Amino acid sequence: MKTNKILNTSNDLRWQIGEGFHDKLTEGIYSDAATIAQNSVHKKGDAKRFRFDRSLDKIVTSKIWGFPIMILILSVVLWLTIIGANYPSGLLADLLIGEIYPWLKGIGESLGFSWWLSGFLFDGVYLALAWVIAVMLPPMAIFFPLFTLLEDFGYLPRVAFNLDHLLKKSGAHGKQALTMSMGFGCNAAGVIATRIIDSPRERLIAIITNNFSLCNGRWPTQILIASIFIGALVPENFAGAVSTLAVIAIALLGIFFTFIVSLFLSKTMLKGEVSSFTLELPPYRPPRFWKTIYTSLIDRTLIVLWRACIFAAPAGAVIWLISNVSIGDSNIANWMILHMDGFGLLLGLNGVILLAYIVAIPANEIVIPTILMLTVMSAAITGVGEGNGVMFELESVPATGDILKAGGWTLLTAINLMLFSLLHNPCSTTIYTIYKETKSVKWTTIASILPIILGFTVCFIVTQVWRILA
Amino acid sequence: MTNPVTLLIIFGIVLVLLFILFYPKTGFYWRLQQSYKTDPKILIEDILKKLYHAEDNGTKLSSDHIINSLNSSPKKILETISEMEDKELIRFKKGEIKLSETGMDYALRIIRVHRLWEKYLSEKTGFHKKDWHEIAEKMEHKLDSQQTKQLAINLGNPRFDPHGDPIPTETGEVEQLNGKPLPKFKEGAIGRIIHIEDEPEIIYKQILAEDLHIGSHIHIIEKNKKRIVFHSEGEEFILAPIVANNITISELKKEDISEKDTFRLSNLKEHEHAKIIGISRECRGEIRRRLLDLGFVMNTKIEVDLTSPMRNPRAYLVRDTSIAIRNEQAKFILIEKIKIHAETN
Amino acid sequence: MQKPTNSACEGCDLNQASNLKKLGINIDNNDYVVALAGNPNTGKSTVFNALTGLKQHTGNWPGKTVTRAEGGYNFNNNKYKIVDLPGTYSLLSTSQDEEVARNFILFGKPDVTIIVVDASRLERNLNLVLQILEITNKAVLCLNLMDEATRLDIEIDDRTLARDLGIPVVPTSARSKEGIPELLKTVHQVATGEIICKPHRIKNVPKNINNAIEKLRLEIEATYPNVPNSRWIALRLLDGDERIIEAVKTGEFITE
Ligand SMILES: Nc1nc2c(ncn2[C@@H]2O[C@H](COP(=O)(O)OP(=O)(O)OP(=O)(O)O)[C@@H](O)[C@H]2O)c(=O)[nH]1
Ligand SMILES: [Mg+2]
Repeated sequence: MKTNKILNTSNDLRWQIGEGFHDKLTEGIYSDAATIAQNSVHKKGDAKRFRFDRSLDKIVTSKIWGFPIMILILSVVLWLTIIGANYPSGLLADLLIGEIYPWLKGIGESLGFSWWLSGFLFDGVYLALAWVIAVMLPPMAIFFPLFTLLEDFGYLPRVAFNLDHLLKKSGAHGKQALTMSMGFGCNAAGVIATRIIDSPRERLIAIITNNFSLCNGRWPTQILIASIFIGALVPENFAGAVSTLAVIAIALLGIFFTFIVSLFLSKTMLKGEVSSFTLELPPYRPPRFWKTIYTSLIDRTLIVLWRACIFAAPAGAVIWLISNVSIGDSNIANWMILHMDGFGLLLGLNGVILLAYIVAIPANEIVIPTILMLTVMSAAITGVGEGNGVMFELESVPATGDILKAGGWTLLTAINLMLFSLLHNPCSTTIYTIYKETKSVKWTTIASILPIILGFTVCFIVTQVWRILA
Repeated sequence: MTNPVTLLIIFGIVLVLLFILFYPKTGFYWRLQQSYKTDPKILIEDILKKLYHAEDNGTKLSSDHIINSLNSSPKKILETISEMEDKELIRFKKGEIKLSETGMDYALRIIRVHRLWEKYLSEKTGFHKKDWHEIAEKMEHKLDSQQTKQLAINLGNPRFDPHGDPIPTETGEVEQLNGKPLPKFKEGAIGRIIHIEDEPEIIYKQILAEDLHIGSHIHIIEKNKKRIVFHSEGEEFILAPIVANNITISELKKEDISEKDTFRLSNLKEHEHAKIIGISRECRGEIRRRLLDLGFVMNTKIEVDLTSPMRNPRAYLVRDTSIAIRNEQAKFILIEKIKIHAETN
Repeated sequence: MQKPTNSACEGCDLNQASNLKKLGINIDNNDYVVALAGNPNTGKSTVFNALTGLKQHTGNWPGKTVTRAEGGYNFNNNKYKIVDLPGTYSLLSTSQDEEVARNFILFGKPDVTIIVVDASRLERNLNLVLQILEITNKAVLCLNLMDEATRLDIEIDDRTLARDLGIPVVPTSARSKEGIPELLKTVHQVATGEIICKPHRIKNVPKNINNAIEKLRLEIEATYPNVPNSRWIALRLLDGDERIIEAVKTGEFITE
């Protein structure tokens, strides 16, 4: 065949040219480029790199300041998010649950909805949505713009530059720092971002460990629990700072687990050598402040929120269903809680939390409302909540704490919940994205199961050690 | 509630058990898996290779030598040898085993696959040099001739494997290396490394630890019974003769090489200026291309821009852009330092 | 990700005054396909957003865009589909991270390729530009980030550059939308054949390689007389690019 002839000729010629083909060609192109550039580019003076850029780079990558600055920036962003989100969250909850919810119920009644339809729609679907909006919108509306500002400024590549050595030590790729950063917003986005890693082995590591970057559906859980249980340990003046510290500790623990699990994977399932790392460090570009805030509010925040709502609505419905459909003499929810309680307690959690995490597989955002609802139902606390399967947001943080304490929660439960929220399976969107990116059932399964095993193990050890010490 | 200490102990025991079962390579599970596969074909091919290498070196082998150098049971080896004689792969000549024509062909085919596979590993995968040999040892028994041909085409019909050994062609021709082992040269000699032997492993590991690269120029400074000292790419190396013996050098005339002082980019200090001379042959495949694409090409001016907190990676200023690479790669980029007199602002 | 919707361009007539109508993701029945190629972090997505009114994510680090995104706009009553690609340093490599962009530039058969370059680092960007010019006859150089170049006291003589490269050059600052109208017009002129490009071909190739390329090129042209970029194919075959070998076997690139 003719095409075979072409291929044969090319093979012969390749043999004759020998190894240096690519080198010579690139050198040729670059020397063409140099000639062309010389003809048309005129540099006045010596504009190597802007002085400001260089001095700043010297500091953010310096031996002494490199790492502290990274942690400082993370802390400031989180602190602003926690402090700043409190007030608007309360307002939104008042509005959506205090005002609109009764109003909707009223409408349902006047239209003559049967109890189950009104329950299903308003107590299930609507309340789930309301919770997601009230709890997620404010922190996201602060976190995303801040993060985007950092990204547009050009700080992320410097983080990758600083962290590369540690990542290399754990058998991973330096650009994993970038995909981790994306994961702080959304794990599914982080998983897609791993495409910048061109070594398949290191890319898989980055995909599997992306889940250890606390995503935006989990920040609110961390913040709420830290405020209720850990902030409350200290005088009120320090509460904000201490809860921020607790959340930062969890975030750093996540980074630590990223390293450990990367190391584990590269020693076992994904054996192989570290490949190379090349990264262009772009110049700093002063972001256009208002425009950035505006766009990241509009697209990032609202799009992620939209996604959360889509998942929250059916989940709300499911919660309502399992707590109202009964088998034998109790409802499904109660039955499951009862059966999982023993295992849960072994891990310092309880049946309610485990069931909540099953219900919340589609979206991490609804873990807390599910827990509250199930707690009320199973502990049969009178005077709060509206009835079986009704999700609600309590107006004040201390009130939420009271319910949880009445449900048997201790400081240990809170710590374990924070740990488990960090270390559990990725949400369904992320799992699906992992499958799309890896095209492998095996790796998708590993990526989903590994964090749970880790979560169980860590919670178990913490609990048992706590019991010995206490 | 069960006693926490008991629980923790149970947990620990489970962990230890899993460890014993699945510890990479030496774990019980893996060993069990391993013990299932000893294939007569593999043994035949291993013996053929032994014989080929022996003939190549001009040494003679008897059945005893083979029994001692392979770790299968002597009984099995003897059975295999007589089977090979029946198949006319080998002949006995005064107690010494020789390859027949067919045996030679067969051996070359195996060696071709082995070296191609090492080439493949070096170009297309991230496996470390020290693992290539072992992986290729397994693969050489698995590829049929069609697959081998395809592999060779995909790799661009390479002539040498990454250690500098010639790859036999499909028709069984082998290029001769025209170099001599390093200790055969005198003090003051200048040469180029053309081959680094990867067997035995103990010696290869020592050479790897020295980080010598195929294709680099060396200059022998001192040579005696105990040690050989030479310079290469701005660094000094000291080797025992037995180690140096596994490095093949082809001599260069003084006129052939310019008297430039070559350094590795990883040795460039801050505030020094340099010009790129080239990329070491040891740097292959994707990463070589990436470095070239990023502008690390001959005659490009370069200087250190930034050093990360843990001193690795570093960022270099190349063609007006700061590009971070690890020292492991910077080592492969060869430079010549240049002086810039008036420090410009 | 973004699916084209079915609604046709209802408001087109109202928009005659300004020649540009951003179509967002309404990209059915387009007249021309335009690809956005270039090194990472040169502002391709920013240009894309300026043209389509979409909000493709941008960020100041190389590798922000990893999947290709499509959008559309209307100019002078022609519908354009525009494709934002991930950044690439070179079309010569076989690395996975650059595959999406490489494949689209080589096999996507865009009518016009806009090559976005960083004006303050022109020389290193030209590496990719010269490679793309080996493949296509219809390209426009978008000299982006001009504001930064000016800040760094770099002056670029775009006429000389256009003459040397043989394609039109448009200086822009995409973030503040400077130069975007000129870019649209030039793309239109190239698409409709009003401007004919005579792209630069790589000259500094060593003798022995050049001979090999020529020999192979003749053979390719003998088999596929209508191939526009036989030299590039020859080049890639000599480099052993499996994707191109496959394409030669199937004759994929001949349908022009
Ligand atoms: N000052 C200035 N900044 C710009 C201009 N165009 C783009 N930028 C900024 O440059 C950065 C990179 O822009 P992108 O559009 O994301 O670049 P890209 O080429 O799509 O990058 P990749 O997707 O990574 O290949 C962003 O921070 C933009 O805001 C410009 O004309 N002037
Ligand atoms: Mg982009």
